Amino acid sequence: MNRLSALRRAARALFAAGLALAASPAFAQLTQRPFMVGGGEGGGGASGGITGWLIEMQSQLTRLIAADVHALHNGPAAIWGLIGFGFAYGVFHAAGPGHGKAVIASYMMASDRALKRGIVLAFLAAALQGAVAVALVGVAVLIFNATAPEMNAAANWLALASCSGVIAIGLWLTVTKGRALLVALRARFAHRAALAAAPVYADAPWRPAAGSGAAVTFRAGPPDGAGAAAIDDPAACGHLHAPDPAALEAGFSWRGAAATVLAAGSRPCSGAILVLVFALAQGLFAAGIAAVAAMSFGVALTTGALASAAVFAKRLAMRMAAGDDSRIALAARGVEFLAALLVVAFGLALLLVAGRGA
Amino acid sequence: MNFAAPARRLVLALLFAATLAFVPAAAAAHPHVWVTVRSKVGFSPDGKVASVTHDWVFDEMYSSFATQGLAKPGELVTRDVFAPLARQNAGGLAEIGYFTTLKIGGKAAEFGPVKDGDYWMEERPDHLVAFHVDLHLKTPTAPSQYFSLLVADPEYFIDFEYDDNDPIALVSAPSGCSASIAKPKPLEGQDKTKLTESFFSGLAVGTNFGFKMASRVIVACP
Repeated sequence: MNRLSALRRAARALFAAGLALAASPAFAQLTQRPFMVGGGEGGGGASGGITGWLIEMQSQLTRLIAADVHALHNGPAAIWGLIGFGFAYGVFHAAGPGHGKAVIASYMMASDRALKRGIVLAFLAAALQGAVAVALVGVAVLIFNATAPEMNAAANWLALASCSGVIAIGLWLTVTKGRALLVALRARFAHRAALAAAPVYADAPWRPAAGSGAAVTFRAGPPDGAGAAAIDDPAACGHLHAPDPAALEAGFSWRGAAATVLAAGSRPCSGAILVLVFALAQGLFAAGIAAVAAMSFGVALTTGALASAAVFAKRLAMRMAAGDDSRIALAARGVEFLAALLVVAFGLALLLVAGRGA
Repeated sequence: MNFAAPARRLVLALLFAATLAFVPAAAAAHPHVWVTVRSKVGFSPDGKVASVTHDWVFDEMYSSFATQGLAKPGELVTRDVFAPLARQNAGGLAEIGYFTTLKIGGKAAEFGPVKDGDYWMEERPDHLVAFHVDLHLKTPTAPSQYFSLLVADPEYFIDFEYDDNDPIALVSAPSGCSASIAKPKPLEGQDKTKLTESFFSGLAVGTNFGFKMASRVIVACP
């Protein structure tokens, strides 16, 4: 118990330190980049092969979008092209590192196996992201007649808030999933100890010393939920090869999901900001909003597919670890714990990129 | 019952899941800003390479972004009005290597810091934004038989492309020097494999993709 609260304190301290670092003007100064567009997409990293193709598609689509905005001056038919290209742009764009889709996918892996919920989260996050871009540009340009550096600053504050939120969620998941992992480990050791103590295995060479070792030193607090309790009970060790749904779904909460949507979706994307400002400059804000809505829908599709892949990957991992209940639970908790660490890693990576805007 | 094999499988399964989760992170940014480049290479009176002058013209999306809120409708944004944004952009150039790689005799030339008066930014009558900057070599260097000039964003947020009609000029060059443009090579087989692997492993191959996509100016001097 003490160890846990110490862990929680450490996580909180780390979060505060990260926030302080991100907010310090020195950090922003150090990482300023010429000709930046706010929203925290600094780019960098591997490209080529499939990724190179994605890049090429997006470049083409951006130009098609710009051409269609112009074409709107000649007739309203171009709106369909605008929506179509916007949608395609979203599909391709969401395969890049921004957009928090990695966050959503990892979150789904860490907390859930229900496909539908993952897809709903993906759509909500994408819709929020589009709405944030529209609100940001609408307010900045129409009300404040803001300049590019001012819009960059606003977009980057949102990006920083988003990244900090993602890191916070990741740390929270890491703590809760770490605790669940300890419980599962303890159950696993108890299970093996019980097997070893049983007469039929008494002389097996791998037999752990019953009642000694790790089983008693792991103090992870009360088992959380009915699933864990069932696993904890050596008497419940049947030869069920299907994981206990209650144990697998432990940890999903709509509150946590809402926080994830908010964190992942509150960062406006640079591409959407550019399209909106450009459309506004042409006196065609509504067309820009339509294009961004289509982009968000495309982003939602890709993110939803990735969230589904994450859920399937987790199921597959558990099937590969098939065995008795305690091993399946251990696999599930292990996957969730790794996914929780990934959320933290994504948050930190996004933070580094977001800090580079001017 | 043998516990070793399932335990190995468990580790494999965890690795597999972690890899899948990493795949999305491998994808990279794509250009958000397009720039048409015209460059001049300046020579000192004693025939050494002394400066590189860039004139960059931005695409219409970035141009409307950069000019937003700076001029009344129907008016162009002047150099004076653009001065703060120009200073901000010029000030950030050093850290990103000026987006410029000038290689003489296989060595990358070093540029001195950009000073006020070396740069300006303005809105052209066609509403595209232009950025001008003079880069001075720290030590003017005698040209070797060939030297190359590359303008690229290593992170490929900005796509620099040389102007089709008037990409490069040599100023006060020793007689006989000539410049030509080499288009980017298509990615080679080995690169493709490496890059595709990196996509699946989630490990970056490096942040120099922008360089691979860039045109290169080759200057030959007798």
